[in-house]
Amino acid sequence: MSYRIQRRPSAPASTAIMARIGAAASALVIAGSILRWSGADPLALGRHVLAQSFGSRFGLEDLGLMVSPLLLTGLAVAVMQRIALWNIGVEGQFYGGAFGATAASLYLSGPAWAMLGAMAVAGCLGGMIWILVPTLARAYADVSELITTLLLNFVAILLVYYVSTGPWLDRATHQLASTPRIAARVPSIWGTVHWGLPIAMALAVMLAVLFGYTPWGYEVRISGANPEAAPYAGIPMRRRIIAVMLLSGGIAGFAGALELAGTVHRLQGGISNNYGYLGIMVAVLARNSFLGIILSATFMAVILNSGIVLQTQGLNANAVLAVTGLILILTAIGDEAAHYTFIAFDQRAA
Amino acid sequence: MDILTGILTTAFLAGGDLALAALGEVLAERAGVVNLGVEGLMSLGALTAVATATARASPALGFLAALGVGLAFGIVFAIATVTIRANQVLCGLGLTLVGTGLAATLGRTYAGRPSPVTFTPVRIPGLADLPVIGPALFNQNVLVYLVFLVLPVALHILLFRTRHGLNVRAVGENPGAADASGISVARIRFWYVAAGAALAAGAGAFLTLTFVPSWSEGVVAGRGWIAVSLVIFAGYRPINAALAALLFGFITALGFVGQARGWPVSPALLSMLPYLGTLGFIIVPVLAWRRMRRFAAAPAGLGRPYFRDLR
Repeated sequence: MSYRIQRRPSAPASTAIMARIGAAASALVIAGSILRWSGADPLALGRHVLAQSFGSRFGLEDLGLMVSPLLLTGLAVAVMQRIALWNIGVEGQFYGGAFGATAASLYLSGPAWAMLGAMAVAGCLGGMIWILVPTLARAYADVSELITTLLLNFVAILLVYYVSTGPWLDRATHQLASTPRIAARVPSIWGTVHWGLPIAMALAVMLAVLFGYTPWGYEVRISGANPEAAPYAGIPMRRRIIAVMLLSGGIAGFAGALELAGTVHRLQGGISNNYGYLGIMVAVLARNSFLGIILSATFMAVILNSGIVLQTQGLNANAVLAVTGLILILTAIGDEAAHYTFIAFDQRAA
Repeated sequence: MDILTGILTTAFLAGGDLALAALGEVLAERAGVVNLGVEGLMSLGALTAVATATARASPALGFLAALGVGLAFGIVFAIATVTIRANQVLCGLGLTLVGTGLAATLGRTYAGRPSPVTFTPVRIPGLADLPVIGPALFNQNVLVYLVFLVLPVALHILLFRTRHGLNVRAVGENPGAADASGISVARIRFWYVAAGAALAAGAGAFLTLTFVPSWSEGVVAGRGWIAVSLVIFAGYRPINAALAALLFGFITALGFVGQARGWPVSPALLSMLPYLGTLGFIIVPVLAWRRMRRFAAAPAGLGRPYFRDLR
């Protein structure tokens, strides 16, 4: 008997999940080795991070606060992956949503529940408007969504910077570079953790049902898997692309509105905390499974939180971004490796 | 110096890094590999240049060091995408995160400090005395000449006038056919990706050694992504890429003039111009000249890993 390596057309789910776990673990080992080489004690830092994150109610509340935006931005990326498109502009749509929700809170008034509803709608609309041009360009002119969605991130960040330091600047309390505190806030369920977390989880379940068990979701998947064949099956590709991209932008915008109304309460630069970019990670790690995103968002929240804890130890939060990128590259490599298998064959028979 | 000359001079400086990064991306994409890590490579190059120039007081060494760092990261990217054939989009995004994160982490000690040495203008006698364009085009630093005159022409000849260039384009268009005719797909892709990455890091060095002579965390500010977009706009042609970069340098320079002359527009809004301009320039031509699509089409094998047994 001898063995040879063969590539399978698709990787089995269990191998692909192991590849993801392996990628995340190796990235942490590489980061730890670099820390060690630069004179730090990675094991002590790791223990410190775990103790700070899971050892206290304060740490757990912080984690709970970070999971919901990561969950939503991950869902936004995963939704578009169903039709085989990349939304690299979730960061910008997040800002667009926060901008829309702030506008609603500044220019409308009413009871708190009505304000929250208006802010949620305005947030979704903000995200949708932010993805509108890339959507139309993709649907009607075949312009790659990769770069069009991404370029608008920079515009959104500049827009939020502009309004929060200019027209909407808080002049009453002399808050520098931020709008006044918004009136309505999402009620909390546990300490600082608010209703955004269960809402985001419910949305994940709803999307899993929508894409997994409805004819519409099936058509979207077919359109993504085989764009040449889909029109012959009578699927209106263009309409499906537009609907899915606007849905993705809407979810990202909702994430921005929720972050504003639930956690930050003021529109300011840097409100997104890189959630849009990290959402790509969340979706990729979960293999775009909507329920898996709950797990991978929690994992990313721990990573992000460790960055904040490590900052108190004199490390830079940007190091977390580098580690995230490392996980992304190693996941891509692991994904490809998961396609390969050893097969045994009998040389005498061959 | 009149205003037009001033704008043109700034346009060459502001567009130079875009041109260099775009030329690198043309190399990788002509061989069939999308490198979305340009933004990260530029960050690493920008920091390397400042750090080297601080230690050795030589802008040339700073630029070379950035090329070296870019080549090293390019080789890692090529191992992932060409040798292992991992997903190019994921690896590119990962490289951007690693590059920007790493540069920001390692660069803290250099933040806000001006580069101690920069490339200084080299005046070309005679030509520099031409009205308007003379000072803008012929009183620039060495890198500007390299990026706008030497490299675009050299790469154009390499890609479109040599047998080797024909092979490279064949690998990008139809790797299966190229492989069948005896061209080593993996070897060409590997080295073109690595060389393209070196130029991207060099573009970062261009930024901190001429245009914005200091390192700060957000110094690249999406210019890597603009460079990737310019390649599409330029139809994957080196000379067009340099011209497109110059156009964007011009837009950026106009924004500066606007700020300097106190136009009643917020600087933040003026800063949106390059991004909105890029967006317009990759969407409008496709809508306006549908027949031009074939002329400006991407290499057919772009973004797809090549597996010999699936030919």
